[in-house]
Amino acid sequence: MPTNLTYTQLLEDNAWLRKSGDSFYFQCTTRTVQESKLFPVNPYIALSYYNAWYRWPELVRKISASMSPEEVGDRAREVSSYVNAISLSTIPNFFLGGRQFLIDMGMINPTDSLDDIHEVLDFSRRANLAYHRQTGHVLNSDNSNRAQILPERALQVFEADAIGCVPGDRLHSAVAGFLATASQYAFLKNCECRLGIHNSGPYQVGANEMLVRDFVDLAEGDYPWLDGVASEIEHNNLTMPVIMKDTHFNIVDDWGSFEATPSYDHDNVVAVGLYTSDYLSDGYIPVHMENAGDLADYLDLLREKMADATSQLWKRMAGWSRDQMIDAGSLVYYGVFKDFAHFAGTYEQDDWCMLDERANRMKPLMNDEYGRDAIAEVVGFISLTSQQESPYVMSRYAAQPADMWSAIPYAVLHDAPSTATAGPIRPGVTSLEPKTALYTTTRGKLTQDECNAAAKGFVPKVFEDGGRYLDDQWVKNNAASDRARRLYEATQEHSRHLQGRGSLLQREDIEKIRNG
Amino acid sequence: MSQPQVLDDKWGKKAMTPTVEHFHRAVREVVAERFAASGRAWEDFVHDLACEITAEDLQAVEKSLLDTGYTFETSAHVSLAESPEKYKPLAVVSDSGNQVTDDEGRKVVGTGDNVFSAPDLTGTARFVGTVDVVMEMLLGGVPPDTIAIIDDSGGTLTAPILEGFAGVICMGGTVRSHLGILTREYNIPCLMAAELDGLADGDKIHVQYSKPATDAYAERDESARVRISKIS
Repeated sequence: MPTNLTYTQLLEDNAWLRKSGDSFYFQCTTRTVQESKLFPVNPYIALSYYNAWYRWPELVRKISASMSPEEVGDRAREVSSYVNAISLSTIPNFFLGGRQFLIDMGMINPTDSLDDIHEVLDFSRRANLAYHRQTGHVLNSDNSNRAQILPERALQVFEADAIGCVPGDRLHSAVAGFLATASQYAFLKNCECRLGIHNSGPYQVGANEMLVRDFVDLAEGDYPWLDGVASEIEHNNLTMPVIMKDTHFNIVDDWGSFEATPSYDHDNVVAVGLYTSDYLSDGYIPVHMENAGDLADYLDLLREKMADATSQLWKRMAGWSRDQMIDAGSLVYYGVFKDFAHFAGTYEQDDWCMLDERANRMKPLMNDEYGRDAIAEVVGFISLTSQQESPYVMSRYAAQPADMWSAIPYAVLHDAPSTATAGPIRPGVTSLEPKTALYTTTRGKLTQDECNAAAKGFVPKVFEDGGRYLDDQWVKNNAASDRARRLYEATQEHSRHLQGRGSLLQREDIEKIRNG
Repeated sequence: MSQPQVLDDKWGKKAMTPTVEHFHRAVREVVAERFAASGRAWEDFVHDLACEITAEDLQAVEKSLLDTGYTFETSAHVSLAESPEKYKPLAVVSDSGNQVTDDEGRKVVGTGDNVFSAPDLTGTARFVGTVDVVMEMLLGGVPPDTIAIIDDSGGTLTAPILEGFAGVICMGGTVRSHLGILTREYNIPCLMAAELDGLADGDKIHVQYSKPATDAYAERDESARVRISKIS
């Protein structure tokens, strides 16, 4: 039967599908196929695509019933979490990757599961729109690879409270050590993928630029393999605003990766801060930012704890079977959607840490060579038979007669047969040890039910009194109002230098406050 | 349109790689046979549990390729360790015997792309390619002046010992790969996409890390690549 979707919905779905594929092509082809001698990376990536295809539509419906994608995007912009530019940009691609493989193997047609496709694409597009509303773009790549996510009120606090440092002093050295160790730990705990690291910016800070660096899911939480080894890490998400001199961040891309001109040199770091936040916090909470010595001490301690966790975790992972490695890696990729459930208060471990039996059945194909070549063909060479188009076509980046994701044929609006859904989630399987530890949040270590109850009952202070809709464009003409003052003061609540300073501060004021 | 559409593809072509072509074509054939036997319309067939492709079907697809004598290339060591019958042995660094020499008359045993510019470095090449070697260095410490030769552009195999390396030479990836990102954070000089010829474990080598960082978006420029010279 023809679909119930409208022409406008299909036009929007296909436009988002194509934009996502183009962005993904650029990202993937500037990195080559990922590999690891420890993890079978590409087999687990391919498997995660199937799991996304089969499970996300129903989980999107479950999240949507509790919170709209726009509200999750708006809340995510106020804190650091797994809902960020990299996860938001990858959601359509991981999902459509499963669809493309199945189309290529003749297991589905481009006209199948159209309601499922619409659910996921529409949800992810709307969440991206809200998250990126500060610049009015959908992806960072639309904004010349700039990730200017945060409003003035948050950036003023980051700048005002940033603690100065110079090469050779304790804080400067501690920051370098922390960033390296946190990056290393993030790659390992995410089974070789970069999803635990995110950057936003650059933000202009006078003659300097600020990059806001996020490390997420660091502590005992959603990933069962962190139980025990991460018990000493007290904050699940950490954010470090870094102010740099003589450095222009010319690229902060759709995966939150940065490049700089001249290339990033730690000697150019002039000030930093450290914060934690999550779906239960009112914005960013400073971490050991009393003074430079306090912050340096804590960063050194964190570095020791993360290095220890890295060693313990590596030993655990090195003892895993191939099946366990593939299950863990695929769940990290598949899990790019999981924090939506945390924001909405609908998180269930089995939704996010199991492979659907329909995805699991694909494992016999997932040898290293097939995984590598299938991923390379689908996202790099665009060479699968199902991806080919009319010989007149020149696609956006690849300039070849092929596109990454098959569009939905519009004939389904007339008389072409189609199907609506692949059906509900089926039983999940996993070879991993079950989760036993509590979930680390800004409100302490909680059970799953406590996390969900807290999320359902939480309204951020900056959302009160219609604050959710008070953007910088509104502030521009209403900065002297009580509502603007309350909005800014809610963001300034934990600030050392700006608490209670309100909405009339200009950047020059921030600089004076910083300089004492 | 009431059939598997990939079977009737105006612009279709073979996949680029043999395993993808074999696997996908074989699955298409199984689906087509099952669909024809069902006597049903595609939209009634496609999500029907009774008609689904199963893990057993896919095992048969894999077997059909292995039965031809084909073996798979390995990425992760665990794959080869668990199923040695399915995988080719790991490649080793070859020695053509035709190496050019540098300005000081030393054999150039490799080149690579520089992640960032750092002082040139002399050290001992040590191949760090297996879990066992990493575990040994994790427990016993990384020997001083180790320039790690890593056949892995990822950041996990060497995660617990990376900080101990004086330099890194990676035989894969690009300067934007995970290992490139991590070595930049640790300020450990690193070459990516290295091509080696005649380098052996334990060789004393000199690496021109002082060359400018490689532009990830530019075409490959041989003259810009960093040389690795063998001292002894």
